[in-house]
Amino acid sequence: MPEAEFLPVELLQRVAVGDRAAFAALYRTTSAKLFGVAMRITQRRDWAEDALQESFVAVWRRAVDYDPVKGSAMTWLATIVRHRAIDQRRRRASTAEARSEPEEALLALASGASDRADRGAELAALKRCLLELETQPRRAVLLAYAYGYTHEELARDLATPVGTVKSWIRRSLERLKRCLDG
Amino acid sequence: MRYDDPKLRELLAGRYILGTMAPLARARFERVMAGDATVAREVGDWAERFAPIDEATAPVAPPGALWRRIEAEIGAPAAGRRQRRGWPLWSSLNFWRGFAGLATAVAAAAIVYLGVFQVAPPIATPNFIAVLNDKNGAPAWIATTGDQPDRVFVEAVGRQTIDAAHSFQLWAIAGGAPRPLGLLSPQPTQHLAVASTSLPPTGGVLAVSLEPAGGSPTGKPTGPVLFQGKVFSNPL
Repeated sequence: MPEAEFLPVELLQRVAVGDRAAFAALYRTTSAKLFGVAMRITQRRDWAEDALQESFVAVWRRAVDYDPVKGSAMTWLATIVRHRAIDQRRRRASTAEARSEPEEALLALASGASDRADRGAELAALKRCLLELETQPRRAVLLAYAYGYTHEELARDLATPVGTVKSWIRRSLERLKRCLDG
Repeated sequence: MRYDDPKLRELLAGRYILGTMAPLARARFERVMAGDATVAREVGDWAERFAPIDEATAPVAPPGALWRRIEAEIGAPAAGRRQRRGWPLWSSLNFWRGFAGLATAVAAAAIVYLGVFQVAPPIATPNFIAVLNDKNGAPAWIATTGDQPDRVFVEAVGRQTIDAAHSFQLWAIAGGAPRPLGLLSPQPTQHLAVASTSLPPTGGVLAVSLEPAGGSPTGKPTGPVLFQGKVFSNPL
């Protein structure tokens, strides 16, 4: 059967029962997107490769844990990859090189073209809600999500105590939820 | 950690997705998530809120050697795990039709089922959860627990046909709005695995509706309900 007929969720359901062909099709159809996400976080090809390898091995073993309440299949896969990439970065970077992306570059991450046309509105909403946050808390949220910054790295980047960063993130999450769900 | 405090739970779910949890805290939270459908749902909601950032990130083709490394790590197909369980009688539509509508069908089927598994590869504690019938009362899908009591497997009895533009979507109905559980593959040898924490309680209903390919765009059933059945034994 041609793989184009199957969505990631259908492939995952087949992987959950040990279907190797479905696993290969899942890799072919999602790995470039997921490798892009891993590269964004690690900024190093070899670390991103290790993160992607660990992620797909975990998916093979844990596909049965996928549940649609955890979000779409693609989102679930991206969460696994992001966490593995963050782990690579934390484990191997003695000190993360400080990033100094201007505000626009960070926001551009949330405003790029989506490959899913139906997600255009969600992208716009996320950007609008991020813009409602104050500059420093917004930077903290974006650096954490997009680049896997730890609280300590955020504190250094933003020249702010860790406790303050944590409370910025807590308040930002509350505000984002209200804004996006409202 | 009090995960029944909704505010704290919400914050932890957000921090989990943001990626700022320390490794040990994250591992602990993942264990909580595995056993708590409310936490899993909140994590899913957070993941979807931030997902547009990943979707907007440019894809990068991984090197070809990476797939070979993955294949090498997961190893050659192991006989026990990869082989499909043979269910000749189980998959026979006529067998199930013979029981359609009978109040004793379930008990009888369970006895036959256990009989089958004395010769087939054993499943630790097979349990029938629900039989979903079509509108004529013929069984079409069977939900059971297999060798993992926290998973419910939903399998087609015989072959269901569906065109490429549509999907069968499974729903849990227990009082309030139907909750989506997943898409069912029409092949008789395919399982859908659902966490048993997502199941309706005994007396609730499992239903399958016809939806656009990939599932309902609204999160609620949009097409006709083709099959349904009462949950007569929730394993939890």
